[in-house]
Amino acid sequence: MIKRLLIANRGEIAIRIARACGELGIESVAVYSEADERAPHVAAADRAIAIGPAAPRDSYLSIPQLVRAAQTTEADAVHPGYGFLSENAAFADACERAGLIFVGPPSHVIASMGSKIEARRLMQSAGVAVVPGETPDDQSDDGIRRAVDRVGLPALIKASAGGGGKGMRRVVAASDIADAVQSARREALSAFGDGTLYVERLIERSRHVEVQILADHQGHVVHLFERDCSVQRRHQKVIEESPSPGLTPELVRRITDAAVRAADAVGYRNAGTIEFLLDVKDASFYFLEMNTRLQVEHPVTEAVTGLDLVRAQLMVASGEPLGWDTHQPTQRGCAIEARVYAEDPARGFLPQAGRVLLYREPRAPGVRIDSGIAEGAEVSVHYDPLLAKVIASAESRELARLRLIAALRHFPILGVRTNIPFLLRILDHPRFRAGDVDTAFLDDEVSSLAEPAHLEAPAFVIAAMAAAPEAGGVDARLGWDPWQQSRDWRN
Amino acid sequence: MPGEPVLTRIAPGTFSVDVGGRREIVYVAGPPNDRWAFWNGHIFHSAGDAEPTARREVGPRTPIAHALSAPMPATVIRVLVAPGARVKKGDAVVLLEAMKMELAVRSLSDGTITAVRCHAGELVQADQVLVELG
Repeated sequence: MIKRLLIANRGEIAIRIARACGELGIESVAVYSEADERAPHVAAADRAIAIGPAAPRDSYLSIPQLVRAAQTTEADAVHPGYGFLSENAAFADACERAGLIFVGPPSHVIASMGSKIEARRLMQSAGVAVVPGETPDDQSDDGIRRAVDRVGLPALIKASAGGGGKGMRRVVAASDIADAVQSARREALSAFGDGTLYVERLIERSRHVEVQILADHQGHVVHLFERDCSVQRRHQKVIEESPSPGLTPELVRRITDAAVRAADAVGYRNAGTIEFLLDVKDASFYFLEMNTRLQVEHPVTEAVTGLDLVRAQLMVASGEPLGWDTHQPTQRGCAIEARVYAEDPARGFLPQAGRVLLYREPRAPGVRIDSGIAEGAEVSVHYDPLLAKVIASAESRELARLRLIAALRHFPILGVRTNIPFLLRILDHPRFRAGDVDTAFLDDEVSSLAEPAHLEAPAFVIAAMAAAPEAGGVDARLGWDPWQQSRDWRN
Repeated sequence: MPGEPVLTRIAPGTFSVDVGGRREIVYVAGPPNDRWAFWNGHIFHSAGDAEPTARREVGPRTPIAHALSAPMPATVIRVLVAPGARVKKGDAVVLLEAMKMELAVRSLSDGTITAVRCHAGELVQADQVLVELG
């Protein structure tokens, strides 16, 4: 069994992983950049070690720094979380070479799934359909342009190395190509350290349906059903749910079968997700990509299966068998997750940075909050604007939806703008209520989801805002900052 | 019974407000010139929204037609214009990066660039002037 785990990440997922370690009696080690010295994820772990400057390239994306941190703290395993180096085969390889257990699949599986060409080839040989697309050998602007010509418009240009909508651009007209290539490449470089681009045909009316896979070292591969992540903005998922409202039982069977086949074909180990595009017109589905890591939205699967995916990851990485066979996991009820981002929907979803002045989590049956922030924490310009995830589960989709709405209405986060009002408008939208969404939903409904032109504060809100300055929140206590005073505790 | 709302502070930053017999919970934080409130899923902010031009006073002596400023703290990736360049409304003038996302600062009108006040690699603050137009 793993004894001490280095968590090579930050924010909510680092805290989530530390929690699973605590349950299993594994000691957790947080890493932090200079900007994160006082971040909540540092306090959540048993130990913490600094790994360099604020810029991700020099800290959370630095393989030498992270391996050194694991060695210095005498960790025997590394969990990469999601984003950052989680799908970087060189990092998994460096861990393996340093004698560290990498909590994820072997590096060669990450490499083959990270290469879109290889992933597609493997999927096709396993009998899984793929979307037309290619990673051109000629990565020059002209080479990408020719690839777009071959694949056909409309097309997507995306980072070969990553996901999460980073480095991804939609090209509708040939005249957009030049700009799209340049900015996709820059974003890919800065987010993943790899500017290789991939070009793919855009299927216009599709749902994003993905299947959670778990595989152990004893040869068991199970699926943990599907998640529907069709509510996306610029390919950034906003709301996810399980089960998918767009699938019939027959389609669930076919898509989960395909996912298990795909995982088998690549010799998959640990937790992974196979993403499919489901063509709404004819219910055909295509392999999109395999994410060889834990997903942001894994809690919806945990809610409907009752399983702890991070715990399962740590058990599998320790060499334990899954303990249940292919037919054992069951899906019960419905779960919906909303991602709370520090962004301003009224100003083009501009990411927001600043200090969290007040933060109160709602508490209710069937509501789970996975959060990376706390009152007084700084939301930094350097990192992803995801602040927290709110997951509501209930016996039906409608009850889960109402539960999520109630939770978000009681989730005050002040000091930085968040997308909570926008999330509430989505959840209340007739198309979302009906489960009738595709990946273009947020774009198509821009006007019906737009903020009502400057909502006037009701008189009683203005009265409360005008009330005494000892109103509270963190500003009332700024004179005494326990963080500043405790700076040397760790040394 | 409508009338003056009655405020009760029930926790730090948390008010229970009696509005004609109905109770509303309002969360409040921030100094008076930068006050935030949350009620029933709605967010209210009293500073930035009300006086967006307050920072203009530190501008240059000669009046400028307008200045394009950073919408948030960010790193300048690239400056796309030089003084004297003609730009059209909607043209990107500076590329910024924040939170791993790329943002283009675009001209709000046709005009000529009179000054560039940032450089590639620079970390800029919210509302900091990046480019001036005449």
